[in-house]
Amino acid sequence: MIAWFESIGIRVERVCLHVGIYPMLLLQVIQRLSRPPWFFSHILSQCEKVGVQSLPVVLLTAIFTGMVLALQSWVGFHRFGAESMVSTVVSLSMVRELGPVLVGLMVAGRVGASFAAELGTMRVSEQIDALWTLSTDPLRYLVIPRIIAATLMMPLLVVLADAIGIFGGYLVSVMLLDQNPQVYIERATLFLELQDLYSGLLKAFVFGGIIGLISCTEGFYCKGGAQGVGQATTRAVVLSAMSILIADYFLTIWIFQ
Amino acid sequence: MSDAKIQVCHLSKQFDGKIILDDMNLKVMPGESHIVIGLSGTGKSVLLKCILGLLQADSGEVLVDGEEWCCLSESERLKRMRNIGMVFQGSALFDSLPVWENVAFVLRRQGMKKKEARDRAQEVLEKVGLPHACDKMPAELSGGMAKRVGLARAICHRPSIIFYDEPLSGLDPVMSDVITRLMRELHEEMQVTSLTIAHNMKLVRDFGDQVSMLYQGRIHLQTPASELDSQDDPIFRQFIEGRANGPLDTNNLTIKGSL
Repeated sequence: MIAWFESIGIRVERVCLHVGIYPMLLLQVIQRLSRPPWFFSHILSQCEKVGVQSLPVVLLTAIFTGMVLALQSWVGFHRFGAESMVSTVVSLSMVRELGPVLVGLMVAGRVGASFAAELGTMRVSEQIDALWTLSTDPLRYLVIPRIIAATLMMPLLVVLADAIGIFGGYLVSVMLLDQNPQVYIERATLFLELQDLYSGLLKAFVFGGIIGLISCTEGFYCKGGAQGVGQATTRAVVLSAMSILIADYFLTIWIFQ
Repeated sequence: MSDAKIQVCHLSKQFDGKIILDDMNLKVMPGESHIVIGLSGTGKSVLLKCILGLLQADSGEVLVDGEEWCCLSESERLKRMRNIGMVFQGSALFDSLPVWENVAFVLRRQGMKKKEARDRAQEVLEKVGLPHACDKMPAELSGGMAKRVGLARAICHRPSIIFYDEPLSGLDPVMSDVITRLMRELHEEMQVTSLTIAHNMKLVRDFGDQVSMLYQGRIHLQTPASELDSQDDPIFRQFIEGRANGPLDTNNLTIKGSL
């Protein structure tokens, strides 16, 4: 019986230790934000990696999502003659939900994996230890620029993804389903409120922070050799994606209450 | 206050109940080249990491220049690190930076202008025999070249203490000799204090002033390098002669007991 309790205790301790490293790292990051050095050039170069280099995958995802959404909603609306509402559904869905979530998942896959693999490799090859010995704080030099870049770039990517997604819906509606282009544009904006845009941007901001924090934590505390880096990378992507979906639900409840 | 440059007092470290360092003590005097030898897995690198603060010791003190390092805040310790150079076992060069930026990393961090830092890096690279490596990337270097760049990076900011973690691992005998001579020359020229973790007995004889053997979590024996062969401790003799048979407990290197 004691052994059973002991094994449960050990597992609980392991889970707590693993879960606890995320708030611990976040706390250390926040503590360091108030004092220099801030490594602006690193922040800019990470912004380029997260923002500019993610554009192709994000925009491709957005345009096809908008196109599919237009097709699918046309099928439904056609049954009761409300085809003109297709653009409303496309724009509201993209701005409020699909834009932030899909961009979040894409960025988690592309950027989160890269952060975790990069930092993990630096950890197992002692480059992070080397930074300490070269009187440089690795959290400031490696982690903070990545978290800031992910947090700042996500809303910008989402704005572009929203626009391209709505444009994808336009292409399908106008070119394929013979809708009036004027009506599409009018209906796309008619029911869209500023709050919809804000909520999407807020979600994007939070998702960016989640991706940065989880993937940097996984990479920074990576253990073992190549296998450890592989595991850290997988965990970074899976945990980021899951956290984005869970956070999306709670943010949606909070925003639209 | 002790006159030692580095002093380790009653240092203990365990991993998952396995005792790695057990109340160990060590003194490194100013200007001395001190080498810690011991079987693989005895905790030599752990000792180095505890001294540098890369690992937190369970108990004990580390004094550098008479100052207690374990009590320093992270930012204070980072400031003190400017006085220290470290050569890693696997070189640990930054993949994303060219050789010269690796070498001049601390100088650039201290605000030195790019051209000045590059010139200083070039100067140090020439000193380690790599005058044409400035613009190469670490991936383009051989093992021996990477070691020399690691050495250049450790000395570029003129530290007063250099730590070497198995500086000859993975090198052929000729390159090992080249690196050993280079270390000796730099040690004498810069008049630094060195603490080296090593297995290689040729390095110990050619580079060491004092030699300590780490065994079962403690310094088993300390001797001047010139008196290595006159030591008659059977464990020490077995190690320096590289014999498989003898009193050295090769199956239970660090685990004296478990919690």
